[in-house]
Amino acid sequence: MARKKTDYERMLKSIKTTQEWFEPSPYKWQRVDPKEKGGKKTLYGLCRACMQGDCSTLVHLEDGVVTRVEGNPDTPPNYGSLCAKGNAEIMGLYNPYRVKTPMVRTNPLKGLDVDPMWKEVSWGEAMDLTAEGLKKVREKDARGLVICEGWGERDTIFRQPFGHAFGTPNEIGSHGALCTVHYATGLIQSGYPVAVVDLEYCQYHITLGRSLGPNFGIVPGMRKFSKAVERGMKLVVVDPRSSYEASKGEWVPIRPGTDLAFLLAMAHVILHEIKVYDKFFLLNRTNAPYLIGPDGKYVREAGKGKPLMWDDLENKAKPFDAQFGEIALQGTREISGVTCKTAFDMICEEYVRYTPEWAEEICTVPAKTIRRLAKEFIENARIGSTIEIDGFTFPFRPASLNVERNVTNRRGGTYADLVGKIINMLVGNIEVPGGCLSCSYRGPIMGPTGDGTVTPGYEAVPKPFKFPPDHLSMAEFYPHQHTAPHLAINAILNPEKYHLPYRAEAWMSVGGNPIRQNAQPESYVEGFKKLSFVVSIAYHMDEVAILSDVLLPEHSALERFRVAPFYLQHQSIDNEVNGLKMIQLREAVPPLFNTRHVDDIFMELAERLGILYGEGGLYDQLNKAIDWVDKADGLNMNGQWKLDVEKKYTLEEIFDRQIRGWPYSDGKGLEDLKKKGNIQYWKPRKEFYLYYYFPDNKTRHPIYMTGLKEVGDELRANLEKHNIGFPGIENMDYIFDLYRPIPHWVETSEYKPPKEYDLWAINWKTPYIGNDASNLTGNPWLAEIYAKDPWESVILLNPVTAQRKRLDEGARIVVESRYGKIEGRLRISELFHPDAVGVGGSYGLGTRQSSPLNRLGPNFNALLSLEDKTLDGVSGGQDTAPAVKIYREEVKL
Amino acid sequence: MRYAMVIDLQKCVGCNSCTVACRAEQGTPAGVHFHKVVKYEAGRYPNAKMKFLPMPCMHCQNPPCLKVCPTGATYQCEDGLVLIDHDKCIGCRACMVACPYETRHFLWDVACYFDGQLPTPFEQVKQDSFDRGTVVKCNFCVQRLVQGRLPACVETCPSQARTFGDLDDPESEASRLIVLHRGTRFREELGTEPSVYYIKG
Repeated sequence: MARKKTDYERMLKSIKTTQEWFEPSPYKWQRVDPKEKGGKKTLYGLCRACMQGDCSTLVHLEDGVVTRVEGNPDTPPNYGSLCAKGNAEIMGLYNPYRVKTPMVRTNPLKGLDVDPMWKEVSWGEAMDLTAEGLKKVREKDARGLVICEGWGERDTIFRQPFGHAFGTPNEIGSHGALCTVHYATGLIQSGYPVAVVDLEYCQYHITLGRSLGPNFGIVPGMRKFSKAVERGMKLVVVDPRSSYEASKGEWVPIRPGTDLAFLLAMAHVILHEIKVYDKFFLLNRTNAPYLIGPDGKYVREAGKGKPLMWDDLENKAKPFDAQFGEIALQGTREISGVTCKTAFDMICEEYVRYTPEWAEEICTVPAKTIRRLAKEFIENARIGSTIEIDGFTFPFRPASLNVERNVTNRRGGTYADLVGKIINMLVGNIEVPGGCLSCSYRGPIMGPTGDGTVTPGYEAVPKPFKFPPDHLSMAEFYPHQHTAPHLAINAILNPEKYHLPYRAEAWMSVGGNPIRQNAQPESYVEGFKKLSFVVSIAYHMDEVAILSDVLLPEHSALERFRVAPFYLQHQSIDNEVNGLKMIQLREAVPPLFNTRHVDDIFMELAERLGILYGEGGLYDQLNKAIDWVDKADGLNMNGQWKLDVEKKYTLEEIFDRQIRGWPYSDGKGLEDLKKKGNIQYWKPRKEFYLYYYFPDNKTRHPIYMTGLKEVGDELRANLEKHNIGFPGIENMDYIFDLYRPIPHWVETSEYKPPKEYDLWAINWKTPYIGNDASNLTGNPWLAEIYAKDPWESVILLNPVTAQRKRLDEGARIVVESRYGKIEGRLRISELFHPDAVGVGGSYGLGTRQSSPLNRLGPNFNALLSLEDKTLDGVSGGQDTAPAVKIYREEVKL
Repeated sequence: MRYAMVIDLQKCVGCNSCTVACRAEQGTPAGVHFHKVVKYEAGRYPNAKMKFLPMPCMHCQNPPCLKVCPTGATYQCEDGLVLIDHDKCIGCRACMVACPYETRHFLWDVACYFDGQLPTPFEQVKQDSFDRGTVVKCNFCVQRLVQGRLPACVETCPSQARTFGDLDDPESEASRLIVLHRGTRFREELGTEPSVYYIKG
């Protein structure tokens, strides 16, 4: 029996034969230090392999070498379990493709396949060059510095303060433009980043375009998911792909990019066919009864006071917070000669046309199925029921619906998110047990504005307008934007088009790689070439590093000392961690190479630039900073524990102060944290559900999105005031159609494309590559497994479609959108909608100096677009399902 | 004491944490995995699903590998574990032909994780015990069992899909699950009597 070639070896061979190959000489690892022999040590660890980054681990060293990373038993949130990525982190430490020492480019030419001809330099020299480069920018115009952050480096507390101390508003994220999922939750329930399913109590959940945990291998999500499925929770997955999660519930295939139609039809069925909804909730906890005038605005007391509702008993209009005999949910009325309707009526009117038959034409989900799902949703919601938790009576609504990036990311995506919220509001499940819960700070944040509706939070708070704009990422034109690296690169390439009054000069990369992980990589490379100075705080030789002028090598995840606050989980929640406040510790593995901690780099750079000390300096900015996600419950510099801005501190000293100032530390400090690796505080369960803080009619969720309309109106007025159009858009109505108070049907840029683009490419996260910290795609332990995985690193097609296109299993094919094209091997799969072309994960691009595994495609992102007209006008989000054509790759002779 | 493993196929979500935890725990060379998860599709569109079958060594009660081993390198313990004494293994690979579960690996060489590179410090420390020209396989993490811990694949599973316990104890979780959910074994008809049971498949 001869030796069989493994899938992994075949995969490596395919890279070598299809890509330009750079054979590095092998890195000569030092032999294990004989002095360390026999030594055994265990460190407290904190995994960083996915976005959640909170699994508690134990890092075992033998003979001075890390030999095992495993889950820390009995410790939340993972209680001893650990996913494939976390188990594989050791190979991120012992990765020969790491940047091991500071380096400087000597070749002025730049490109992904161009050798920078690195010169190794000392830290002193590298920091001199960096400080000099940044100083020049600061003297000219501080806005010229772009700090690009990303998930490769989430262990810094100084990055944001550095940007503030430097004076640049241009901190951008490399990530997030394909995941603009934050507006609706910020508007409806003042939450961030998203809303998740309550896996403790939910009985019926409809999920679209996201993961609850298993789809991308997130440990706490998987833990809770398996328990929910075991206790009988019904999961409906509306998705072009039959995913891991769909395989545990009901899969409802849908044409890519058409979820808005499906959601509108669901709302239509509830409002116009079933006509069962939580009337109490609508009347008392939303602005559904508010009276709306012909201008689309609230009708107010004496024209400018509080918004009015109609009292059916007294037959008159009263301010919303008055005593009511019977609030009218419906009806057209005359007030001072002006005809007005209830917001509820206006929504019903708009949604008449969104029948399931109309939706089926667009999204291919059968009308019968849409009706059935709506019916099941209403039945399972148990409208009117209650549950008692810690002696407090909550409404109990064990049915919910959540959408995320593969729904929101296209034109109209914000509307789709809002329609999802409307469906939830129709059963009254916002922030109550069983229902739709945000994963943000737990406290009294849903309090009402003067108009009686929930105070918008986070990204629902618009950024102020200014002309000419300050922000490279065009925040002035996209006031509800999430991160926008694509807008930034557009502004770098075409500053006049975007009215930019300065030029981007320098780019500082802190764990962010938009070249590989955004869209149209060639444009990014062009943009980078226009910059005069690029410095990377680099872990490995990725696309940004190879275009850099200076590389400042940083520690790998295991080597980064860190004290972090525990954030609520983004996929799903249940009783394992609900109510938990926690600080976690990562004890650092001794560094292997000549690398430094990112925050030591920031402190030294700040000192060299003269912005470390004093008012407005780095320390001062840290003193002023409040945790964006967890607010006062995060790790901030509080009270007496603020830094003396004239003194120097070590990272240990700073963390010690943060711990002492934490509201739940009870006087403990860093030394106490080191005992168990975490400090926990459990709040009562009733305080976990935000309903608790504003029950009954104490606040109202917007179901009529006045806030959206107001921001749109103001933006339009500002554009007209400055006599400009909307940058990159021919007719500004194309944008303002997305700022109407009732989310409605709009077309994406990929809807009804030219005839030959008859399919849509889709992408998803996989259990192997949650994000790109420690270069997981290049991790050989994961690569050996994804090489064997039938759905990884291939182009997937439904069998009927493959037959129609006369393409065979294993053929090399090209997938081409109007923005880019990629090649790969075809795999025929029953798991895909006939209109979908599946290209999962985060494979490819790579450079000539990266790990060869990074060159393995197909690189889905190359199919995506940077063009303004393809974006969602509210969030700035890019379209993740481009229209494509596919054909056989031409054989090179 | 008779060890058995029970794997809940409803809970398994095919994430391969088990496979990688095994690699990390055992330090197996590149290309060698003591554990595998077979992933496949079931059904036709639109009723198609992903399916997963995690497979450690079955530690058969009636092991075909043991019967064919000419040197007695493969042996069976009282507690049911089927292990290999590396010093006795001559690498004839008869056991690999006999095993119906493709669970054994022959070490053609002890290759590096990073293709074209040299062994990392992890490999230097962990791979002393691997001899070229011998056969290796899953040992139910016997080195952890003696310390009162569970196999790495069982502890790491984020879905808590795996249970490990004593079949001689009717009250053990493993025994209970097998009875309650009518645990079945893979390729049962071959008469190998595996110690790995699957439920809810």
